[in-house]
Amino acid sequence: MQFRRRFEAGEFTCLVQIDPPKGTDVSTMVDGAMGVKGIADAFIVPEMANAVMRMSSLGASVVLRNNGVDAVMQVSCRDRNRLALQGDLLAAAACGINAMMVVTGEDPSFGDHHTAKAVYDVDLGTLLKGISSMEKGRDMAGVELSGAPDFLKGATLNTCLRGADREVELDRMKEMVDAGVKFFITQPLFEFSMTQPFFKTADNYGAKIIPTVLLLKSLGMARYMARNVNYVNMPDAIVHRVLKASDKVRECTRMARETIEAVKKEGFAGVNVSTLGWEHKLPEVLGVMDGLKG
Amino acid sequence: MIVADKKPIEEIIETVKPYDRILVLGCNECVTVCEAGGKKEVEVLASALRMHFIQQGSKKNFDERTLERQCDHEYLEEIRDIMDNYDAVLSLACGVGVQFMAEKYHTTPLIPGVNTCFLGATEKRGLWTERCQACGSCVLAHTAGICPISRCAKRVMNGPCGGSTGGKCEINKDVDCAWQLIIDRLRDLDRMDEYEIVTPIKDWSTERAGGPRTVAREDVQV
Ligand code: SF4
Ligand code: SF4
Repeated sequence: MQFRRRFEAGEFTCLVQIDPPKGTDVSTMVDGAMGVKGIADAFIVPEMANAVMRMSSLGASVVLRNNGVDAVMQVSCRDRNRLALQGDLLAAAACGINAMMVVTGEDPSFGDHHTAKAVYDVDLGTLLKGISSMEKGRDMAGVELSGAPDFLKGATLNTCLRGADREVELDRMKEMVDAGVKFFITQPLFEFSMTQPFFKTADNYGAKIIPTVLLLKSLGMARYMARNVNYVNMPDAIVHRVLKASDKVRECTRMARETIEAVKKEGFAGVNVSTLGWEHKLPEVLGVMDGLKG
Repeated sequence: MIVADKKPIEEIIETVKPYDRILVLGCNECVTVCEAGGKKEVEVLASALRMHFIQQGSKKNFDERTLERQCDHEYLEEIRDIMDNYDAVLSLACGVGVQFMAEKYHTTPLIPGVNTCFLGATEKRGLWTERCQACGSCVLAHTAGICPISRCAKRVMNGPCGGSTGGKCEINKDVDCAWQLIIDRLRDLDRMDEYEIVTPIKDWSTERAGGPRTVAREDVQV
């Protein structure tokens, strides 16, 4: 649908990250998506992010599609072995999902079922290889498929690394591109000073980077991220702006809009907007996107 | 004990190929009992390798040594003075021993000579079977002393899966169904009422769910 077509046509794409419900009531998720239907090209549906049990990405992606919006499904190595992963991918393709992301998944100890056993039957590289094979008509055991899936494939990327860690991430990035990944979604970015080497690598290898823009909700959140989230580079100026603002929510929304603008100016392939449950704020945050549609 | 099996000689030949001076290092503990990596196996493997490389016309030196344990700093120190003589060590210890060696002798390449398989016991000479998967929270008190985690193919915790036939597991007719064994023994112990108690969902965090595990005992630390 929309995201893949626009991405492959080289147009600036707008993704929105939306969490599936913890339960069967999909109304909040669907309402949130409907609020920006036509503005967002697709919704990235995380697969039980932070190892918190929720509706599966496949199920929620199908719900979104049934409501007329495009979804980018995630598959995670943490919870499924090669049989389940492939089965889900076939189901996704049959349900019309044409873009997906592979993720390793956080360890269950981080989540709300911390005594659960993780699977990790395959790693990302093997999974991507398996998907390529499926796309050529054979499953991971080499058995012929009747009908092959075809996905635009993405992965996550951490650009907030220095020194040897950065080299490792750049290598990982190259391996992923070799294995068929076309787009990388970053961690939340508030400025772009550290993205250059990744931008260059993506360019050299024919993949694209889509930064995540996170809507901050409060001064506490900005401070917490600055102090405790080591994969996010939170500039002091941002914390200061929230601190100084009399209407903090409005200021945070304004900053998110400005960051989206900056993402576009920097020449990225698109943006991934995350509101962490504040989907009602999406129309306001994405207002800036109106002018981007041609 | 830790049960290991010999690695195929072809694989070992491939991995030792780049080196000329190799120490074949055995261990006197578990791998000796399961006849995979003790003094005897070191001798047999070293001669097989010597023969192979002589036939290939390549000059390699295979020395032999067997330590009391390779999972113990103290014993690993015994070879410090000879380590400079070798380009690589082919260790016939379990994976723990190989890694402990690698940690101690940081700049010497380490090659494992056995496949470390499981925690098990000698059934009879030449047959070792699995008994424990070190799940970190033993349930044997409630399962008649028979482990459903290591001995049931599906690791089910509340009675057989439905595939058990004639006391054998559905995955292989030569394998006993763990739950048949548990029920039989509970019956013999006259404790069948325990079988009715539903085991709560298993806490796998003591197994591998939280990553590599550590046992830290302050009471015995010095
Ligand atoms: S219950 Fe756990 S600790 Fe006990 S024998 Fe089985 S695997 Fe080993
Ligand atoms: S037949 Fe018995 S041992 Fe085999 S999987 Fe079923 S319960 Fe487990």
